[in-house]
Amino acid sequence: MKIPDMPPARRAPLAAALLAGCMLVATAGAHAADTDAWSTAPYSLGQGLYFPAQGLRLGGYANLQYYDVANEPPTLNTRDISLFVTKDLGSRAQLFTELDAGDAVQLGGSHSNRKHGELDVERLYVDYRANPWLNLRLGKFLTPVGQWNQVHADPLTWTVSRPLATSSAFARHAAGAMAFGTVTTHGHDLDYWLFADDSRDFDVGPDQDRAYAASGTDLPNRNNFRHAFGGRVLWHARGDRFTLGMSVLGYRLDAPRQSYRLVGLDFGWSGRYFSLDGEGIYREGGSPGQPAETGGFVEAEVPLAQRLYLVGRLERYRTSAPAQTVTLRTLALNFRPVPGLVFKLEHRDGNRSTELAPAGWLASFAVLF
Amino acid sequence: MRSHRLAWIAALTLLPLAAPCPAASTDAVRLVVIASASQPLKLAPDRDDLRNIYLKKIFIDDDGRRLIPVNLPPGTPLRALFASRLIGMGEPQLADYWNRQYFQGVSPPYVLASQQAVVRFVATTPGAIGYIASCHLDERVRVLLVVDPAIDPAAAGCGEPAAH
Repeated sequence: MKIPDMPPARRAPLAAALLAGCMLVATAGAHAADTDAWSTAPYSLGQGLYFPAQGLRLGGYANLQYYDVANEPPTLNTRDISLFVTKDLGSRAQLFTELDAGDAVQLGGSHSNRKHGELDVERLYVDYRANPWLNLRLGKFLTPVGQWNQVHADPLTWTVSRPLATSSAFARHAAGAMAFGTVTTHGHDLDYWLFADDSRDFDVGPDQDRAYAASGTDLPNRNNFRHAFGGRVLWHARGDRFTLGMSVLGYRLDAPRQSYRLVGLDFGWSGRYFSLDGEGIYREGGSPGQPAETGGFVEAEVPLAQRLYLVGRLERYRTSAPAQTVTLRTLALNFRPVPGLVFKLEHRDGNRSTELAPAGWLASFAVLF
Repeated sequence: MRSHRLAWIAALTLLPLAAPCPAASTDAVRLVVIASASQPLKLAPDRDDLRNIYLKKIFIDDDGRRLIPVNLPPGTPLRALFASRLIGMGEPQLADYWNRQYFQGVSPPYVLASQQAVVRFVATTPGAIGYIASCHLDERVRVLLVVDPAIDPAAAGCGEPAAH
């Protein structure tokens, strides 16, 4: 069992975030007087604990993941224990933070492959509602590329493993400013995000965006931004039954200090008997002669019983370092006995024994609380 | 000839009883979206705007005042009808939507216990928006939009005693 050890450099931002949270809770009572008319729903799993008088919501998620993949001893670990704090700041602003203890507890695995526990400020930002169609965000947030990266928590995804196209070619977090909102055209909504990142100067906590960690390997590739800018649009037909998104990104990584350009496409379709979704990316740049990184996946979800789903995914991805192309096939079961609880079991296989996403069995139990 | 004239008079006299009359249509129960009558919104929301207010994609009106959509309890017929007719989603799909939004720091609308509570809350809370059956309308609130022009009065809870 690994007890988290935290380098001193991580302590300052975490302590600041915790202090800010404590101050918000302590001062929140001042707003209680004008909200005695609230009548809120009782606590339910997956929605957090809400204090209407304080405009404060506490929640989070946790998961337990089991990996039994090729060339690795089986491991059982708490990949994420995350705490959410949402606090209204007047009528126009809101603070949100997510503190994440990753790999805090780990059983099994060889000594050399054991991951070190990390305590990170995963997200920390303030949103300001400028007008009905424009919101501004300042702080550290999830990079708006594709649909998976913005909603990646285990209780909310269909599979334990994460497709390579959703995390391997860009930093999952950005630090800086973002404008976002929704405009409606002919009865259909168009969501937009525009952001500028200056992680070199503004990053909150030196977390490491490991390129292949989400697929179960720990190669040294890091994707932390130094600077980035980009945008995303998501068109959805009424009721979210069909979505089509596009992301465009230009960025410079911290190490190696090279520039890249990325374009991503994603879609989702929900029918009566099954649903389909997928994402793909194309990245060029890097050192001279470095091949483009490109790939994507298509995934289908079929309800077998009321809360039991069969999930199949086909994925193909070409990485630039190391330069290789992999094809992955994933077959999974996803069981949601009650909202907020998810059990998953999946088998992943590939066209070759890849170090990027080794074949094997994966399972998880996740709760959104 | 005389008998024909009497027949025409009788037919003309009975015609209003057979044809739909204006009074009957005004008595139909409708599903309506309401706001406070005394504290008007600085926004003229159409159907799309109201959907996005309920999905928490629009947070404030043109004056920067917070918009506060409120819901009826899960499982109530009027809530299911509202979700289907205005938002275009069923309850399970909406639950998935709110789980994803919660992960991104956005909370679902508040839930109030009854339509009477919705009227009381909307009437007294600046920026509040609710939905009710038109049989519960009174002078404290005004109608922003008619979502459904004819709903079942029994399913809409018309005639129930006030909960508050």
